Amino acid sequence: MNISEKIIETTIEIFTTMVMMEVSADGPLLARSGILCDTITGMIGLAGTHKGVLAIHIPHHVALAITSSFLGMDVDELNDDVRDAVGELANMLGGNIKTILSENGRDIELSLPSTVAGHEYDFSATTDVDLFILPFKTVAGNFMVELQLEK
Amino acid sequence: MGHNVLLVDDSSTMRKIVGRSLRQAGLEFDNIYEAADGLLALEVLEKESVDLVLSDINMPNMDGITFLREKANRAHMKDIPVFMISTETGDDIINEAKALGAVGAIKKPFTADMVSEILGPFLK
Repeated sequence: MNISEKIIETTIEIFTTMVMMEVSADGPLLARSGILCDTITGMIGLAGTHKGVLAIHIPHHVALAITSSFLGMDVDELNDDVRDAVGELANMLGGNIKTILSENGRDIELSLPSTVAGHEYDFSATTDVDLFILPFKTVAGNFMVELQLEK
Repeated sequence: MGHNVLLVDDSSTMRKIVGRSLRQAGLEFDNIYEAADGLLALEVLEKESVDLVLSDINMPNMDGITFLREKANRAHMKDIPVFMISTETGDDIINEAKALGAVGAIKKPFTADMVSEILGPFLK
């Protein structure tokens, strides 16, 4: 199984079992995430034999719907619950991707997850990386999962 | 009679989800305590009677492995069973956790059925 397929499988598994929201892949790999507008990004760093970042970019209105479903309660503003939920999504994605990049998870360390949100920002690497940017769709809207791995 | 369980995770979302899964699994609890890291978990164990601990591994201040090590050094809490709940379920880290006293591991993502199946035998 290649990395893109694993990202799709892991994302669908996390959303189906824990977020309680149906999600599906929405087309081929993207060349770049582009300028992110009214979006929240959850990210987690990878260090060791594979260095890079795993990120999930979710438009604000989609993040509210995801967090509401995740927590089983209505969330109508971008608050600490949303930041924590999006960070945890990045954490779960990163942990699962780690296991396919390194046998038994050895040789790769994960950072703690963090989030950034804003009206307009760019999420791009400053070093030469392999990029895997996958679009997903839900009933509430679309989001992207991005893996940057240093070459 | 229910049990007292301690959930240790830096994510408030995950603490809520684990608590919800325990209830959905039909397991009875008198109290569900929460702690955001290993250091705070030790404080709860000093004050409260806890039957089972469910702990994340990757946490700030004191991670799950250090928590197990510290707990094992304290006679009055060393026998309280701990399950690791984490995305990090590679053989190496789980073997390290088990060597420090963890009795099992649950991989994120998980379902309430998985929680019931794994934890049920420890809560009878």
